[in-house]
Order: sequence, then structure tokens, then C-alpha cells
Amino acid sequence: MIVPFSHVLVLAGMLFVLGIVCTVARRNLIMIVLGVEIMLNAASIAFVGAASRWHNLEGQAFVLFVLAIAATEVSVGLAIIVYAFRRTGSFDPSAYNRLK
Amino acid sequence: MQMTYATFPYLSAILVSCVGGLLAILCIPEERKSWIKWVSAVSSGMTLVLSIAVFFAYDKSLGGLQFVEKVAWVPALGIQYFNGADGFNLPNLLLTGIVFFTGVLTMWELELRVKEFFALYFLMVAGVFGLFMSFDLFFIFIWYDVSLFPMYLLIAVWGTTRKEHGAMKLTLYLLAGSALILPAIVYLFVKAGLSTFDLIRLMQPGVFTAEEQIFAFLPLYLGFGILAGVWPFHTWSPVGHVAAPHGVSMVHAGVLMKIGAFGVLRVAICLCPEGWKYWAQLMAVLAAIGVIYGALVGLRQTDLKYVIGYSSVSHMGIVGLGLSTVTLEGLDGAVFQMFAHGVMTALLFSSVGYIYDRTHTKAIADLGGLSRTMPVASAYFIVAALAGIGVPGLANFWGELMVLIAAVQVYPLRGVMAVLALVVSALFMLRVVQRTFYGPGKDQYAQLPDVPFTLGIPRMVLTTVLVLLGLFPSILFDMIQTASIPFMSGLPK
Amino acid sequence: MTTGLTHSATATAALLATLSPFVAFLVILIVTRSRQQLSATVSLGAVGLSFVCAVLLLAGYWGMEGAVRLTVPWLSAGAYAIPFGFLLDPLSLLMLVIVTTISLLVQVYSLGYMAGDSGFSRYYAFMSLFVFSMTNLTLAPTLLQLYVFWELVGLSSYLLIGFWYEKFSATQAGKKAFVMTRAGDVAFFLGMLVPLLHLGNVGIVDMNSLHPATSISPGMLTLSAVLIFGGIVGKSAQFPLMTWLPDAMEGPTPVSALLHSATMVAAGVYLFARLFPYFSLSPTAMTLFLFIGTLSMLLASTMAMVDRDIKKVWAYSTISQLGFMIMALASGGPGGYFSGVYHLTTHAGFKALLFLCSGVFIHHFQTNDMFELSEKQCRHLKVPTVAIVLAAAALSGLPPLSGYFSKEAILKQLTVLPNPIWLTAALLGVFLTAYYSFRVVFVLCFPRKPEADSEEQTVKGDTAHGGHGEASYGLMVWPLVILAGITLLLGFGEHALKVLLVGHQDARGSLEGWAVDWLPVAALGLAISGAGVAWVEFGHKKAKQVGFVEEEPRLAALFRERWYLDHLYRILVERGIDKGISTLFYRNDNLVIDGSIDGMGKGTVEGGRFVARLHLGMIQHRLVVTLAVLAFLSLYFFF
Repeated sequence: MIVPFSHVLVLAGMLFVLGIVCTVARRNLIMIVLGVEIMLNAASIAFVGAASRWHNLEGQAFVLFVLAIAATEVSVGLAIIVYAFRRTGSFDPSAYNRLK
Repeated sequence: MQMTYATFPYLSAILVSCVGGLLAILCIPEERKSWIKWVSAVSSGMTLVLSIAVFFAYDKSLGGLQFVEKVAWVPALGIQYFNGADGFNLPNLLLTGIVFFTGVLTMWELELRVKEFFALYFLMVAGVFGLFMSFDLFFIFIWYDVSLFPMYLLIAVWGTTRKEHGAMKLTLYLLAGSALILPAIVYLFVKAGLSTFDLIRLMQPGVFTAEEQIFAFLPLYLGFGILAGVWPFHTWSPVGHVAAPHGVSMVHAGVLMKIGAFGVLRVAICLCPEGWKYWAQLMAVLAAIGVIYGALVGLRQTDLKYVIGYSSVSHMGIVGLGLSTVTLEGLDGAVFQMFAHGVMTALLFSSVGYIYDRTHTKAIADLGGLSRTMPVASAYFIVAALAGIGVPGLANFWGELMVLIAAVQVYPLRGVMAVLALVVSALFMLRVVQRTFYGPGKDQYAQLPDVPFTLGIPRMVLTTVLVLLGLFPSILFDMIQTASIPFMSGLPK
Repeated sequence: MTTGLTHSATATAALLATLSPFVAFLVILIVTRSRQQLSATVSLGAVGLSFVCAVLLLAGYWGMEGAVRLTVPWLSAGAYAIPFGFLLDPLSLLMLVIVTTISLLVQVYSLGYMAGDSGFSRYYAFMSLFVFSMTNLTLAPTLLQLYVFWELVGLSSYLLIGFWYEKFSATQAGKKAFVMTRAGDVAFFLGMLVPLLHLGNVGIVDMNSLHPATSISPGMLTLSAVLIFGGIVGKSAQFPLMTWLPDAMEGPTPVSALLHSATMVAAGVYLFARLFPYFSLSPTAMTLFLFIGTLSMLLASTMAMVDRDIKKVWAYSTISQLGFMIMALASGGPGGYFSGVYHLTTHAGFKALLFLCSGVFIHHFQTNDMFELSEKQCRHLKVPTVAIVLAAAALSGLPPLSGYFSKEAILKQLTVLPNPIWLTAALLGVFLTAYYSFRVVFVLCFPRKPEADSEEQTVKGDTAHGGHGEASYGLMVWPLVILAGITLLLGFGEHALKVLLVGHQDARGSLEGWAVDWLPVAALGLAISGAGVAWVEFGHKKAKQVGFVEEEPRLAALFRERWYLDHLYRILVERGIDKGISTLFYRNDNLVIDGSIDGMGKGTVEGGRFVARLHLGMIQHRLVVTLAVLAFLSLYFFF
């Protein structure tokens, strides 16, 4: 293995933190969904790294599932965001605290 | 305890006629108001007939538990559909039958949302019947909540004075009661380790230790006691009585408060006799305060129904006092008083209902001289008021007599205080009678019709029961004693 | 002798005597309410039957040995069995005859008095209820049964006082009577519990044959006697529960005659006589009773001296005479027993007569005020005028009327007591009685303003309008004649009654002859001088018709206001109970109990609001929190 496994994990961890920051800090619904996707991808990278580390293909199979779910999630999430934008005219999550 | 299985399922038949009536009402289109009323009357009449039949079919010489119906429901948890009749619940079943039937007839003139009203009314009464006849702790709890839930709607929709407030208060109080009861039931279930809710099996001596009984008694007593109007948890009852429509007040004061007292007897006292003895002093204090307090507060009420409400607090205090004496006489008197008070207060509310429907006021100051325009309606109220005072010849006298004899014997000071409250209760009842029915007739009421024969039927029935039991109290006492004598003699010394 | 109720002529007679009025009561209420004549017939038939049975029972008893006790079980609860039945002995049968006789006469009289009243049927129904309760009270074999019917006569009294319910004062008086007697009854009830708890039952025979050294300690015995006496005080309107009786005169006059003078209020004295041996066990209690009897007797006499309302004068005099009876009974011994019961008997006759005569006047002239009656020439109604003079003379204790004999018997009995103060008080009472009785008589007979326009009718009278015809007058006069006959003759039955009540031995023994020679002379002298003072002030042609008491305004006010007892009660009830405790409790309900409950409710709502402020509804905040928690958890688990 060319790249050491620890490097893969560091990369995945950094991506995950970036995703968290993006989800928590941005005031735009689309960016929040984007952050969630980044976190998913971080997990996928860790899976791929682990698969090659232990020579086990199940990790890569998981990544395929994650990709599929991420795709559906983005489509449903964006649909909700579009609908919500039509209702309120804003992407700001603080406009949606009516359940409070 | 000796058990005799039913040859004819009287008890289930009572439930079926309630629920059947309920279903029939639901099937009738809303506009057919008179159909709904007739179906209600017939089905409640059937219930009354059945409850009378079971009362007299009970073999007093045999005693014990009769007309037993037992079907396993959730065997894993030991939950059974287990009904039976004994000397404690038969008077209450009869009372419920009487009040139910007369309550339906009292609401005969209802025009607003008739279908919903009677449907809820039937649901409530079915719960009451179920509770009285059940010998399964789990079912007792379920029936308890079934009978309470419709009350909220009945008061909030059809009520009068501050109805939402009254309904809310009542519901919260009573739910607080069931919040106390449920953990206690679970506690007993676990501690018994028999994995059964069967009351008869749990009642066997030795199932619970004395400490467990003492621990479980208090929440059970307070939980059911709230419903019985035990001081200081009584304030829901006058408010609720006042807010409720008349027929519901009748069931409410006449029967629902009895559920509380009956629950104390059936669940708390029967399961935890040691706890009963341990907490009797406290029960006596609360009950004696309730007797005096209710009478004194009733003295300064200005609303006819509030007066009756506080008199209920006072009279239910007598029941509590009887239960607290831990004597046979006290127990007999308490159960008798439950019955007598149920009938008497139903008669009071029924009469007030008639008067309120005509005059549209319950304020005592606005009434007066009604004896001139409606002598018969007034006479019914006066009879009930006299029964409430404890005049002999009417049923309540005997209950009060027995309870007070026992109370003075066991708790001299508290007993004497309760006896003194009789003077105050005479004062306030007679004051109400004087201000409402006596005095010169008022012009605005001069044209009001007196009770016609048909509308008078419920009051006639109730009056007859009061007089009959006043003259022949042994009808009921003999019945009660088939249960109370074995129970008291079976108590560990 | 105790027997069942079946197969016995005696039992049948007793049942008929006591239960037929109840049947009449039910029949009138349910069936014949709208048909007045029929109602009256039913009621009269029932009370007539009662009367016949009572007389037969007494006649059958005469010469029998021992009391007859007939019972059936009524109720048994716990350790207590309560029988229903009859105790037939001289005392109860005598009382039964008194009750049914007066009831019958009064009901006949009421045919005239109440004619035309819209509540005619109701009146007869209540009257029947009263006769039923009173006869059962009389024959009760146990104290508990007695208590039951004791309450029921109280109920009938309440209903009959407030009979004219549109009159505020009448309903007020009814309520007052009920509540005040109820206060006494509560004491009675508690007193009854003492023997019940100690003996296991309250059979009158058992209580009376109690040995002094039995399970009841002397202290408890005294307590029980005093408490039971509380009931007597309430029912017989003795001090301090005396003020309801004059107010009870708001009822129709026949009711006053029957209930509030002759029979119901005498039930208190009857109870005393009934439990006489039991009470005698406690000398302390007997002394207290003597004191209360004397005090009531004197207080009521003073009140009677100043009232203008003719019925109220007789009411006060009733209290006073009941006080006499209680004095006699409380002095103890067979003599006390006999003289008390004897006075009860004679008093029933002449006091009913006084009321019924006054009733004729009131009915005819529509006023209760004796001065107005006099101005309207009531003396022209010959029969009642003669009868009222006769009855007043009997009340004052003038020979040869019945009152003379019974009062002499009491006075003679009082000489037995070591302390002369009781005798002195009684003699003073004799003087006052004669004074106030003849004050009424002279006022009625010697009008000051001759021939005022007698057509003018005031509305002060308490009677229903209409029914002034000769027919009703005739109906009302016959009972007067009969009662006057009784008043004249009863005095000569003293010995027979004595034999009946206390047996041959005692009757011949210590009771014969005067204990003190000067006593009859003194008593008669005082009675005559009382009448004489009344003559000087009211009868004499130039008299101002102002009593010596009224010359002293403060004294008169004191007497007229009933020694301010009523004020005391009013203050007690209004300030103490209504405005005091009751209000306090009511506030407690509203503020403390409801307040704390509502406070809990509000607290929950406020708490919810406060917590809600933490929730901004931002998904991102939640995520931060979630992640932070996860981070800390992982720190905890992994390191």
C-alpha cells in the first residue's frame, strides 16, 4: 500500500470536521446539505482506506451503498429546500423555527 | 371466599345493555332526537331492571361472591375479565342503575347535540358499571379511566357556569388520582409475585407483608380519595358539579364520587388491611374535617348547585369517617351512606335541573317563592334536602346513624365534631329551602308550569327509593353485611 | 313481658293506633291532594281510629301487671340490633291517650279554622304525619326508636310552623325551630350513645332497671343524663334554647295548640318521665335539671308579662309550665314523677283550650294583638270567652279546676327538697302565672274603647281568609266545650291517676296529706293576689291597662327582648359562623387550596415557557449539541 492508512484516516477526519463546520456554521440550507454530503464522503474515504488495509471488499461495497443513499438524500433534501424556499422565500434555517 | 359461577351472566348483561345502547345511539342519525332519547331510555331502563334483578337474585344466605364470570384475557400477565357480585358492590350497582335511568330521563328536554351527549353518557356509565363489578385490578384501573374521560367532554360542551374551567380542573384532579393509583397497583402486582391481577387471590392473607401494605395503602387511598372528595382534595367537586349539565351532575355526584369511596374499600382496604389500620387515624382526621368543612362552606354559597356540591363534600366525609373506624358498624354505615347519598344528591340535582330549565338561574337570591308556582317540583327538592339533613324516615338517616355511632365510639372527639356538623348542615339546607321555595311568589316565575307527570318520573323513582330505604333500611343493611361480616371477621387481629 | 308483634289483640290495637295516621299521610299526599274534603275525612278517620285504639289500650291495661313490650326486628348492623315496637305501660298509654285526644279535637277544630285555605290537604297531611310520629314516639320501646320519631315530630313541627310559606316570618320561625331543636337533639344523640356503648342497647326498660353499680361509671352516667337532657331542653324549649317556641306561633293556631303547647313540646318532659329511674341515678344531673327548670319557668313568666300578642303569651306560659313539670320531675322520688306527669296531663287540656279559644278570636277578628281583639269586642263570642276564663283560671291554679290539683301536687313535692329556694321560686312562679293569665283575661273582657268599628279588618292576623260562617264557628266551638269539660273534671281523677302511675303502695304512702300546712293557703293566696294585681292594673274600670313592669322601660325591654337571648344567638350565628368560620373556610378553599393547585398549574406553564426559551428551533444548534455530546461520550468511552 502506497499511502499509509494513518494518512487516509487523517484526511477522512479533516474532511469530516470540514463537513461539520459547514453544516453548523453556514446560514444556507443548501450549504448545510452540502456539509452533510461532505461528512458522508469522509466516512466513505475511511471505508475505502480500511478495505485496502485489511484486503476486504465489504468496505468498498458499503461505499457504493453510501453513494446511492447520498444521491437519494440530496434529491429529497433539495426538493424539500425548493419547496421551503417557495413557502418562505429564504434559505435561512432560522426562518423555519415555527415549531418552537 | 366462596364463589358461585353465574348461570345467567347478569353482570355482563348490564354492560352489554350499556354498550349496546351506546352502539344503537351511534347508528341513529343525528336529526332523530326523539329516537335517540327513546333508545337511551329503553336501554337504561333495561340496565336498571337488570341491576334490580341481580340485587334480588343474590342469595344472601349463601353470601360470598356470586354471578362470577371469569375469562382469561392476557394470560401472560394474568389479566382476566373477572366480574362478580358481593355485598359491597351490589348496592353500588343498584345505585348506578337507578341514577343512570333517572339521569337519562332528567335530560329528556336536551336539544343540543343529543346524539353525542347520550353516547358519551353511556360510555361513562359503562365504565362505572364495569368498575363496580370487576374483580381484576387491571380492569378496575381501565374502567376507572373509561368513566372519567367522557366527563371532560360532557362538562366542557354541555355545561354551564365556567364550564371549561370546571372540566379542566376536574380532569386534572382525577388524573392526578389515577397517577397515584397506577404505580401502587404495579407495586402490588410486582410484590405479590403471583403474576395475577386477580383481586381475590391478592386478597389472601400473607400475600403482602404488613410493611408493603402500609406503603401501598396511602397512594391508593389518596388516589381514590380524590375522587371521593376527601378534604383537602375536594375543590374539584363543587366546581365540577356546578359546571356539569344536570344529568351529568347526577351521575357525577351520585355515582362517580362513590367510585372513589368504593375504590378505597375494594382496592385499598381489601388488599391492604394492615395499611388500613395503620392510616385509619389520618383517614378519620381528613374525613371529620371534610364533614364540618363542607357544611360550613356550604353555608355561605349563593349558587344552588354549589350548595349541593359542598353538601356532597360533607356527606362523603361521613362515608370516609365510617371507613376510617375499622369497625363493622362503620363499614356498614359507610356503604349504606354511599347508596343513600347517591340517591339523595341525584334527586337534588334532578330537581334543580327542572327548576333551572324553567327559570334559567341557579342564584339563590334570584329565586324565591317557587312553592307557589311549582309545588311538586319544590316538594321533591325539599324531600331531598331533608334527607340530606338526616331526617329519619329517609335513607340517609340510617347511614349517618351507624357511622356516627361507630365514630363516636372509636374517635370520640372527631366523632362529636362530626355530629355537631349535623346542626350546621340543617341550618344551611333549610336556609336554601327557605330562600328558594318559600316566601312570596315572584312575578317572573308566576307562569311557569309545575312538573308534569312524565317529567316527574325520575324524581318520583328517586323519592320512592329514599322513603323505602328510610322505612326499611334492612333491605340494604342485610345485603351489605353478607360481605362486611366475613370481611371484618377475616381481618388479622 | 316481651312478645312478638303477631297474633295479639293488643299488638293490633297498638299498630292501628300508631300506623293509621301514616297511611292517611301517604294517601293524602298521593291520592287525595286535590280533593280537600276527602283529605280531611281520611285524616280524621285515621286519628279517630288512633283515639279509639288508645282508649281501648288504656282501658285494657288498667289492672294489668307490668309493662308489655312488643317488638319486631327492624334493623341489625354490626353489634347493634334495632327493634321496632311498642312499650305499653301506664306512662306511655296515658301519654298516648292525651296525644290522640288532643289531636282528634284539634283536627275537628281545624275543619273550621282552616276552611278555605288553599293548603287544606297539605295541612291535614302534615297533621297526620305529626300524629304518626308522636304516637310512635310515645310508645317507643327503645331510646333509638324514640329518637327517630323525636326527629320526625321536629320535622312535622318545621313543616307546620312554616305552613304559610309565603310569609317570611313563618318560614324563618320554622327554620329556627328546627335548627334549635336540632342543636338539642345532637346532645341527645350523643347522650344516647353512652348507654348504647356500655349496655349494647338502649331499651328503655333496660336503662331504667339499671343498677347503680353497673358497668357505667357515675361520671359517664351524669354525662349521658345531661346530654340527653339537652334534647329535652331543645324540644321543651327550656333555657337556653327557649326562644324558638314563641316564634313558632307563626304557624296556624290549631298547630300551636297541638304541637307547641299540648303534645310535642311536652315530649321533652315525657322523655324525662320515661327515663326517670335512669336520670335518678345521677343526683348531680338532677340538681342541674332542677335549676334549668326553675330558671326557664321564671324567665318565661317574665316574658309573658309584657307581650301583646295573645299567642305569644300562651307560648311563654307553655315554657314556664314545662319548667314547672321539669322542676317536679327533677325533685325526684315517686312524688316528683307523679306530680310532673300529672301536670303534663292537666296542662295539655287547659293549654290546648287556651290556644283554641284564642284561635277562635284570631280567626274571627284577624289579629293576634290582645288589645285590638278587645277593642273589637271579642267578648261577644260567648263560648270562647267563658272557656278562656276557665282555662286561664286553671293555668293560674285556682280550684276546682285541674290546674289547681296538679300545681298543688308539684308544690307539695318541692317541700321535700332541703333547700327552700326551689319552693320559693315555684311560689313566685305561681304568682307570676296568675298575673299574666289574668292580665290577658281582663284585657280581653274589659275593652277600653267601646264598640270600635268591628268591621275593619287588619291584615295582621295569621289566618286564612274566608270560612267565617256559622258552620265553621260551630265546628270550632265543640272541641272547646269538650276541653273545658276535661279541664273542669280532670282534677278529680288525681287519685286514679296516681294509682295508675305509681302503684297502690306509693299512692297511699308518702303522698297523702300535706307536708306543710301553710302551703295550700300560701299558694292559693299568691294565685289570687296575682289575679288581684292584674285586676287592679287591667280589669278595674279606671285602670290604665299598663302593667307594673311596663312602668320601668328598661325592665320591660329586657323582658320583651327575651333577656336578649335571641340577640346572642343572632350574633353567634351571623358573626361567629356566617361571617367568621364559614367565610374563613371559604377563603381557605379559594385562596389556599385552589390557590396552591392553580399555583402548581401556573408554575408548570411558566416552567414550560422558560424551557421553551432554550429552544430556538435551529437545526444547527441541535447539531452542535448532539456533536458535543457525542464528542464527550467518545472521550469518556475511549480514554
